[in-house]
Amino acid sequence: MTTTPTTTTTSTIFQERAGFRQAMNRVRNAALPLLILAVYIIASIAVPQFLTFETIRAILLATSVTGIIAAGMTAITLSGNLFSLGVTASVVLSAVIYLAVGSATGNIYLGALAAILAALVIGLGQGYIVGLGLNPVVVTLGAGAIIYGATAIITGGEVVAARTNTLGVFATFAVLGIPLPVIVLIVFTAVAWFLTDYTRIGRNIRLLGSNKETARNSGISPMGSTIWAFLAFSVGIGVAAVLQAAQTLQVQADNFPELTMNVVAAVLVGGTAVTGGDGSPVRSVIGALFIATITQIMVLVGIPQGTRYFALGVVVVALVVILHLLRKASSR
Amino acid sequence: MDTAVPYRLKASGVSKSYGAIRALADVDIELMPGEVMALLGENGAGKSTFVKLLSGLITPDEGTIAIDGDEVQLATVNASQAAGIAVVQQEFSTVGTLSVAENLVLGQRGARWWWSPRRLNASARAILGRVGLEDLDPGRLIETLSVAEMQLVEIARVLAKDARIVIFDEPTAALSDAEIERVLGVVKRLAAEGRSIIYVTHRLGEVFEIADTVVIFRNGRSQPAQKVTDLTVDKVVTSMIGRELGDLYPDRSAGFGEIVLEARDLQVAGLRGDVNLTVRRGEILGLTGQLGSGTTEIMKALAGTGDVFAGTIELDGTPVALRGRREGIESGVAYCSPDRKKDGIFAGVSIRRNLSSPWLNRVAPLGFISRRRESAEALRTATHFAIDANRMGTPVGNLSGGNQQKVAVGKWLGIQPKVLLVEEPTRGVDVGARAEIYAQLRQLCDSGVGVIVSSSDTNEVLGLSDTVTTYYRGAQTASRSANAWSESELVREVMHREEETR
Repeated sequence: MTTTPTTTTTSTIFQERAGFRQAMNRVRNAALPLLILAVYIIASIAVPQFLTFETIRAILLATSVTGIIAAGMTAITLSGNLFSLGVTASVVLSAVIYLAVGSATGNIYLGALAAILAALVIGLGQGYIVGLGLNPVVVTLGAGAIIYGATAIITGGEVVAARTNTLGVFATFAVLGIPLPVIVLIVFTAVAWFLTDYTRIGRNIRLLGSNKETARNSGISPMGSTIWAFLAFSVGIGVAAVLQAAQTLQVQADNFPELTMNVVAAVLVGGTAVTGGDGSPVRSVIGALFIATITQIMVLVGIPQGTRYFALGVVVVALVVILHLLRKASSR
Repeated sequence: MDTAVPYRLKASGVSKSYGAIRALADVDIELMPGEVMALLGENGAGKSTFVKLLSGLITPDEGTIAIDGDEVQLATVNASQAAGIAVVQQEFSTVGTLSVAENLVLGQRGARWWWSPRRLNASARAILGRVGLEDLDPGRLIETLSVAEMQLVEIARVLAKDARIVIFDEPTAALSDAEIERVLGVVKRLAAEGRSIIYVTHRLGEVFEIADTVVIFRNGRSQPAQKVTDLTVDKVVTSMIGRELGDLYPDRSAGFGEIVLEARDLQVAGLRGDVNLTVRRGEILGLTGQLGSGTTEIMKALAGTGDVFAGTIELDGTPVALRGRREGIESGVAYCSPDRKKDGIFAGVSIRRNLSSPWLNRVAPLGFISRRRESAEALRTATHFAIDANRMGTPVGNLSGGNQQKVAVGKWLGIQPKVLLVEEPTRGVDVGARAEIYAQLRQLCDSGVGVIVSSSDTNEVLGLSDTVTTYYRGAQTASRSANAWSESELVREVMHREEETR
């Protein structure tokens, strides 16, 4: 590829190209944080109620739910298995279980544990089926429909509400003024980052996403790594569901319809490669922060819901295209 | 342009370079209507580059191509087809889930946009008749056909284009004797109709059966065409092997130790006979054969990813059950695939992480990666394999073919292998890096690793190995010490003229 007659030209060409690649990479890494910064500066000047405690708190609480799921979802995307499209249904089921078990036992920890365990069981099943080689989009979409149906049958389509307000402690508790969900988000993201970058499981997930056949030849089990990725995702689902249920204290089968798309958008805007192998849970959380911020600003300005979805969609698609072009430029 | 002789195809002074590598240099070809011309040459001699050029996949740097006296530009596949050239590729281009008739008729140039089933089948039958498949039901799905029938349908598909020049690129590699006869019969019939045929093959028997003229490629140059009646097998083999073994290859082994790997009565899918082979410490065993010879299947079986029905594999005298690569790696079997881009490297991942991928557990106690140890170990391999230590963070996909291959082989160093299996060790690797890779393999071998190399490049196998075993269409045909082979004998054994010249 880089064979040219004289060594001097080879190395200069290579250095130039390497320099260009590095520059593109830096732009790609810095693009989103800079964009968020710009949005905050502009919004705090242009939108009067933006820089208030209430607004920032609302943005962070919204980010905590999508961010935690997006951080977990990143494992699936990194493993080369695209996305789980059953986020909404899984979150609703786990939330129902948290409220039901928590109300019945009066123990919020038991409720949270049950919610996370349920998410893990569901994730394990999906991970196994995807690990067999079935298309993840089809599997998770189908699983989502089944879970939604099951939840609707169990609850009879009724609202499931918390019997005591203690179930909301996870949302209202704060340390030094920082709401617990935000702390959970930070801890979860840090753990996800550590697991992805510093453990064998995380590395194998990345390698699997980079090239499945090479991974297999290198002794990495595609089934094992896929299941681990889905389990990581499921922990995120369970934790986020508890935080969500603690905020609203009630849940119904058809709640949170926009959650799946928001999580997928967060991962994509964060810059994780759809094809797998390259990306980071931290970036997905930043993506979630971006989406929550834009949404909140539009709510403040009084843009109606339809227009909000439309505008958010346009922004997400534009960003994903730009990130894709930058990635291509940096890997040439 | 040319007026004196009505050449169907005339290529003059055609050259093509990739960077500093000249793939084709001053190729001259003259093909008459109704002539069957066989193209011969070792791997990398330029045959396939020439075929690509005629099919419009690449354009020449210099030289002209004229068809029936008119100069043509074969810049695209469409241009090539429009000029009357059709290529029967090694890989099938038919769609398995569609019927024979649909494959034959649909997607052709100038096809109607709507077909009644009856018309479709009638039209397909007419085409099938020309390749001797009169009795084949055009409604059958392609995927239910035998390999030979698929190959014939593939040819029929090309015939439907009504080409003046038909190029066959190793059409018989995967076929049995009787099936080969059918294909050769079709080739003869096409020539009798006045079409010109270019027939690329590795099998000498076929050449003497169907070809009128033979053109031999060597190091990117075409030798002048010779009439097949003036040739003998010996003459062909001698003009094919221009390369000397020379300095490219390291010295052979000083002596062998005890047996490292022994396969006994192994029954492997895709092979006709039982596989029996042994590698000793300090020995490089070379397996060679053309496409379809079974060497790939043997290597996969030893690596733990092949279909093994019966037999035993022993490592250091202990039987092992290799059910997958994980078991293979744990037992100390390293495996480099023939197609590194597909399943040998992680192109988007850094050199360091590529190198550590098979032995990550060694630097990750309790599953937590020690990046310091990973870097140190990877650096040791890199130094050992002459991989640039300053580029450990560079994605492997950005490296040259030679450096990619060094990573693909070097990553196995860290599992402390007992046996190293390498398929096509230098495919797509320039000469300088080839010598380095050979030296590395020899050094590993000297350090006590049993090395098995499989390659379709006879020169490479002979130059590198201590023992050379040949395979032909799924069965072992000979096994001798490398000193006991001459290259012409080896080439002849691999092409196996005795069985083929009937």
